[in-house]
Amino acid sequence: MTLTQSNTIEQKEVFLELTIDGQTVQTRPGSTVMEAALANNIDIPRLCYHPELSVSGGCRLCVVNVEGYPNPTPSCGLACEDGMSIQTQNEELFQTRREIIDLFVAEHPLDCVTCDKAGSCQLQKYAYEHNIKETSHAFELPRTLYQDDNPFFVRDHQYCILCGRCVRVCDEVVGAHAIDFAGRGFECHIATPFDGPMKDSACVFCGNCVQVCPTAALNPVSRMGKGREWELERIKTICGYCGVGCQLEYALKDGEILYAQATSDGPVNGEMLCTKGRYGWDFATDPQRLTSPMLRRDVAYEMGLTKEDWTLPEESPLKVRKPNIEDSFVPVDWDTALDLVADKLADTVKEYGPDSVMGLASARCTNEENYLFQKLFRLGIGTNNLDHCARL
Amino acid sequence: MNFEALEVVGTKERDRQAKLQGRIFCCTSTACMSAGAGQVHTMLDQAVAVSQSDEFETEVVKTGCMGLCSHGPVVRAEEKDKAAALYGNVNPELAQQIVSRHFPVEEALEEIDSDEPDQSVTPHDIPHFRASLRKAQAKTELDKNIISLEDPFFTKQVRVVLSDTGRIDPDRLEDYLAHGGYQGLAKVLETMTPEEVCTEILESGLRGRGGAGFPSGIKWNFVRQEEAEQKFVIVNGDEGDPGAYMDRTIMEADPHRVLEGMMICAYAVGADYGYLYIRGEYPMAIERIRNAIRAARRHGVLGNKVLGTDFSFKADVRIGAGAFVCGEETALIHSVEGKRGMPRIRPPYPSKSGLWSAPTVINNVETMANVPSIIQNGATWYADIGTEKSKGTKVFALTGHLRNTGLIEVPMGITLREIVYDIGGGIPGDKEFKAAQTGGPSGGCIPAEYLDTPVDYESLTELGSIMGSGGLVIIDDSTTMPDFAKFFMDFCVDESCGKCLPCRVGTVQISKLLDKLISGEGQPEDLDKLDELCQMVQTTSLCGLGQSAPNPVLSTLKYFREEYDTLVQSPETVEAGVK
Repeated sequence: MTLTQSNTIEQKEVFLELTIDGQTVQTRPGSTVMEAALANNIDIPRLCYHPELSVSGGCRLCVVNVEGYPNPTPSCGLACEDGMSIQTQNEELFQTRREIIDLFVAEHPLDCVTCDKAGSCQLQKYAYEHNIKETSHAFELPRTLYQDDNPFFVRDHQYCILCGRCVRVCDEVVGAHAIDFAGRGFECHIATPFDGPMKDSACVFCGNCVQVCPTAALNPVSRMGKGREWELERIKTICGYCGVGCQLEYALKDGEILYAQATSDGPVNGEMLCTKGRYGWDFATDPQRLTSPMLRRDVAYEMGLTKEDWTLPEESPLKVRKPNIEDSFVPVDWDTALDLVADKLADTVKEYGPDSVMGLASARCTNEENYLFQKLFRLGIGTNNLDHCARL
Repeated sequence: MNFEALEVVGTKERDRQAKLQGRIFCCTSTACMSAGAGQVHTMLDQAVAVSQSDEFETEVVKTGCMGLCSHGPVVRAEEKDKAAALYGNVNPELAQQIVSRHFPVEEALEEIDSDEPDQSVTPHDIPHFRASLRKAQAKTELDKNIISLEDPFFTKQVRVVLSDTGRIDPDRLEDYLAHGGYQGLAKVLETMTPEEVCTEILESGLRGRGGAGFPSGIKWNFVRQEEAEQKFVIVNGDEGDPGAYMDRTIMEADPHRVLEGMMICAYAVGADYGYLYIRGEYPMAIERIRNAIRAARRHGVLGNKVLGTDFSFKADVRIGAGAFVCGEETALIHSVEGKRGMPRIRPPYPSKSGLWSAPTVINNVETMANVPSIIQNGATWYADIGTEKSKGTKVFALTGHLRNTGLIEVPMGITLREIVYDIGGGIPGDKEFKAAQTGGPSGGCIPAEYLDTPVDYESLTELGSIMGSGGLVIIDDSTTMPDFAKFFMDFCVDESCGKCLPCRVGTVQISKLLDKLISGEGQPEDLDKLDELCQMVQTTSLCGLGQSAPNPVLSTLKYFREEYDTLVQSPETVEAGVK
């Protein structure tokens, strides 16, 4: 089949135009009022809404006034229509939201002075903004479970506001569906199957539920009681575990990492991380961590880089328990190490031919790096002896 | 099977019934069964079997509800060419008397001495049993159990949905066919286009009987106009209101009518699969619907190429697990999908994106049961019943402080007074009517001064109540309204799914405030707070459950404010004043 002419369809971008707080806003059909507002830096109070998750509509905090609608309507599930006129802030909405927060704190302890989440808690933020010091209703804690049945995060149900973000992230993003709502009415809570321990559920301990939790109901174990949000230093970095290159942020106090989290501006991963990225950072400050290339002591002695010689023991090094790496290896700089490897590789190929060597690439490298590596072996050296650790 | 064959089955059954000398109908609905109808039915069966001779053919039919549940077990005896007789509060002994009175035992083979009638339900000694039956003939204590069919309880009713209820055996498709069953479906498949069916339903003015009263024709048309490979029909049989049992009765007494309505709907909207969502607390309804589905499938009424046409339809039962909120359509859809029954934000409405994101019609059992009659008799016939905006009839479960409680079907627009005093027979004892509560926990209380209000969607909404699914509780003056409101509030507290805050926490706080008031610790400002909180829950809740949960409190606050006021002043006064 030959294409005689380019058959690209000219697609006209259709935009809806609506007014939010007097500001004319353009948005694509199918987007919600919440999305349109956030895209235009109009902040609408929200607790159960999360941009990466489906709409719940449970917290009722994002109610807005729509012209022609009798009652305030939640903006998270409200589809934009052309010519809509929306008000996100006015006295009536402020009072409605104030009443909603008043009800929230009727079952949420206001012990913010000792709470780890203080400073980044969404409920605290909105209570402050709406001037709620305490509930005007009768306070009663419906949920009192405290579950620290795993080494990664603590589930403190008294702080849970049942926004359902954790349930949705587990189901929709992670696909584990380890937790869901259980019980009705006053007994409603987030539970694993039959309220069993986390390890017996389908949980993979990725901690994305901890990430999206707006309150202190889910907190990393590593940070408990170690520092307040505003005392922490934050370092943005790229996760070194695999080639995906997720962006993450370490929160440190006095040089010690307290927890890792993703930031919403990460181009690859958004707010999501896997178990390794989120919890596997203890190597960073481990005294045994290698920070420079190491050269075997006998080779280094031959090259005149060290004064002490060393001979390879007859017994396999694998059988030696906890070998002292300082005995058998010498730290060198990258140039020395790479030059040595290049020389040895070239020598071997010259003497025994290209098929005498093989290359094994790492999943920690990016696609591009892996591509270059096979290029080096196939073209530079001339062998197809090539594999990748992910295939082992 | 095609249309003609279906006719033949019906005609055959009609002929068979016409040949019988008499028929005894024994109500075996849940209400009568709990009053002992099981034993009565077995006794009737045995007695008839023993009294039968060759030229005398009688049968015992176990039927669904006959309406007068407060007088259960109810038995109706029909002799050929004679007026039927209805008996209430029947026990096995009286059952013997009924049989022997209407279908006397010709001769006793053996005289027995004992005056005690043989009440063993499975007679091993047949001669003895016959003699006992003969003896029973002479007794007259049965007379006081006769219920007059001329009672306003029956004459004031207009039975459309319940026309066959109590007259047919719900487990026999033949009986339904003999009473004109599946004629509506046949008419639709043979002579009407889907569009015409939707128009017919629209013109009939049928509105959703689940409570909200959305015009069914419009709903069907929405789904019909959707372009999708798969569409679904769901029948909502998750009847959760305390004291309401209309849908249960319809499913128990006339399951094929529900199936037929569902199939007409499926044809109209272009669906080929349907679910009947029935609450798990209704084992008999589930069993009878399942039997009906099996029978319909066997006769080719259900399945591939229904009655030889190109229309195919399969139906399946899904059983609810006891959540009140699953009566809400989006929560129900989640439940059918196997998820936790929690409502979701609308739009999109189920007519656009329902079960597994396919366009879905959800209608209440009673709505579906109206459909076959509308199709058979035409939209105009149906529209002639009722008021200008509320057409047709409504089935109510009439309960509370009344002489006659039970299941009634009345034309829309009938006044509350007629329901309470004519059909219900008035308030027993020297008590006075105080209020009528419609719509269960989502409805409100209507005080005595509005007794002459016509019962239709608009009038009830105007009074701050709702039509609801059909629960109608009559309260006399021995009830204090704050306590009454508290009962319904606690129901909502327990049944809130926990998804949205106003319903989950707001109802708890309303209940706490009511507690405080009832215990006498209330302050005058608590009443304003109660009112404010109710308004807030009403306007900000996610689904119908939360939005309507404060109705019982709001309506009692509106009409019985003085009772709340007295609570605030001095709790002892109101106690003394009432008791």
